[in-house]
Amino acid sequence: MLKKLLGAAALGLVMVAGGAMAKETVVWWDFLGGGDGVRMKKLIEDFNASHADTIEIQATTLEWGVPFYTKAQTSAAVGEGPDVMTYHLSRLPLGVSTGTLAEITVDDLASVGLAPGDYAAANFGAAQVDGKIYAVPFDMHAVVLYYNKDLLAKAGLIGADGLPTGLDGIDNFTAALKKLQEGGTAQPLSIHDGAGDSMWRIFYSLFGQQDGAFLADGKFLDGDNLDKAVKATTVISDWVKNGFAPAQVDYPASIALFTSGQAAFHINGVWEVPTMTDLHAKGELFEWGAIPIPTFFDHPATWADSHAFAIPNNVGKEMTAEKKKAVLEVIAWMNKNSTFWATAGHLPAYNAARENDEFKAMQPNAAYAKLADTAVFDPSSVLAGVASPVYDAAGNFLMPAVNGEIEPQEAMEGMRDDLQGQVE
Amino acid sequence: MRRYDRSEMVTALVLLTPFVAIYGLLFVYPLLKMVMLSFTKSPLIGEGDWVGFANYIKLFKDRLFSVAVWNTLYFVLLSVIPSTILGLLIALGVNRLKGWTQSAVLAAFFLPYILPVSVVYRIWGWMLDAQFGILQFPIEAIFGERVPVFRTLPLFMPAVAFITIWWLVGFNVLLYIAGLRNISAEIYEAAELDGATRLQTFRRITWPLVWPITVLVATIQLILQLKIFDQLYLFGQGGRTDSVLSLVWLVYRDAFQKNQGGYGATIAVVLFALIVGVSVLQYQALRARGEK
Repeated sequence: MLKKLLGAAALGLVMVAGGAMAKETVVWWDFLGGGDGVRMKKLIEDFNASHADTIEIQATTLEWGVPFYTKAQTSAAVGEGPDVMTYHLSRLPLGVSTGTLAEITVDDLASVGLAPGDYAAANFGAAQVDGKIYAVPFDMHAVVLYYNKDLLAKAGLIGADGLPTGLDGIDNFTAALKKLQEGGTAQPLSIHDGAGDSMWRIFYSLFGQQDGAFLADGKFLDGDNLDKAVKATTVISDWVKNGFAPAQVDYPASIALFTSGQAAFHINGVWEVPTMTDLHAKGELFEWGAIPIPTFFDHPATWADSHAFAIPNNVGKEMTAEKKKAVLEVIAWMNKNSTFWATAGHLPAYNAARENDEFKAMQPNAAYAKLADTAVFDPSSVLAGVASPVYDAAGNFLMPAVNGEIEPQEAMEGMRDDLQGQVE
Repeated sequence: MRRYDRSEMVTALVLLTPFVAIYGLLFVYPLLKMVMLSFTKSPLIGEGDWVGFANYIKLFKDRLFSVAVWNTLYFVLLSVIPSTILGLLIALGVNRLKGWTQSAVLAAFFLPYILPVSVVYRIWGWMLDAQFGILQFPIEAIFGERVPVFRTLPLFMPAVAFITIWWLVGFNVLLYIAGLRNISAEIYEAAELDGATRLQTFRRITWPLVWPITVLVATIQLILQLKIFDQLYLFGQGGRTDSVLSLVWLVYRDAFQKNQGGYGATIAVVLFALIVGVSVLQYQALRARGEK
């Protein structure tokens, strides 16, 4: 009896061990909800199906933002982190400073057929801290200008190519808003000006169009960067002051103002593309499109961030060579199949996935894809990035300036001093 | 003095040990670690250098700390006393009802209490939304314009306190109803026979007899509201958070967002001392009055 039992146990062990040798499990954490979550689930299913004998991704979705990054940090510190996780490139500096992330070498990338040259330079630069690579970009998400084609056509703002025309430059954009107003659209622009994060994205785009350096050599808004910041802020606050955009709008309301046809323009992230696509498919939305933010200053530039893949530095739990190979294979496969991910509105970070015919036929993504070439990423600092002190400062200074509660000059000086005071 | 025999001692030990052990492990030990952490410059995870009282000195110079203390106390003021009084008033009303109407009305007042804070946030966020909120119609009729309530600094705390009272008052009502039902009907009958007015009955019978409940409700509310975080954070996020944050929010920001575990612990120690001090004081003060 005992012999039999032992025999069964041994057999079981052999089977488990044999299975493990043939098939690697990759534990995966992400923070992707909504339209992103649905699409990532599909990608993971496809990956598992095409690697049925070799690799299996075991995915868990966690709460976005500070909770995710706190959990990543605490779990990696005790060796209980996942094998691979999604990460915002803008949040990379803090992750590196806390020792949460493992370095990825060029050789690692080469082993699965990836190279730094497969990505836009600014994008890949944001994946590095002090010259070392800590993440592999997966997408770029930026803010874009959504437009109501019907209202713009009525105001004569649609060009021969079917795209909006005459919006570049502060004066032209203002003139366009006036035309729409005269055409009966009382407040033609909808922005989420009730919160700092959305204002930061527009501000940083306009700031980047003047080649502003938000943080240089440990100094925030140093020298004439302050003036550039004030100019960028003034453009946005003038929209509110002159009655083109309502003040203090909440996030869902800012989308509703656009989708209900009350506003002709809406500036928001590409992640709302599925919202518009779905509404339009149901016949509940006018003809619409999305283009890059107009150029108000010297040259085009748009704020962008990236979802990327990072490997946690699990303390006391060295990753086996087989496991690492599997993780890199997952990352490479996701990148090479990321054209589908673009249906969530994002731009694939992997150049080839953005340059194929399938992507070029994808609307409205193809209309704003060129912003990838001039994208500006958040300053590389532990104080910057999503849900960071810089975002908080945007809520405390930039947001009230946009809504006319304080002057742009005073706001930018306050923001500079506040952030400078937080430098250790 | 009575002496305990051996078997009683053993029973007591057996019954008490698990609690004391768990209490020590999950409360006392982390508390001591937190106090020690507050004397170091630690990140959220891992060891840090001993810095003596540097964190405490930094704390008392920190403008945000004084804002957070003031906001926390202001919120306590706006929420604790009103929700206690309102709880009593509603309970008195509900207590007069009979049968199914009483159950229905009680359920109506208690229903918000079972909602999670995220739902409360969504409901009131939409009702007061400056563009589409249904409450903006009366607001526009009275004030002549729409008011973005959660983005108007002087209105922020009162509005969130009002919502908190709406959300949590049901629990106070329940406690008061239990207290009111404990008062024997005979006392009221005797008072009625003696020709006491309603006001006299309330002042001389109801109020003194529900006083222990009032002390309980006020103390529970006080401790709860000193730890205020969720509602303020949800309604305030993205806005002028430096002006509306509370002490727990400041702990969250420094420890979790900015990875400054030592400094976060320092704020937590001060908050802990504040809660212990204020609640002991309040409990003593209220109890003393009740015994008079």
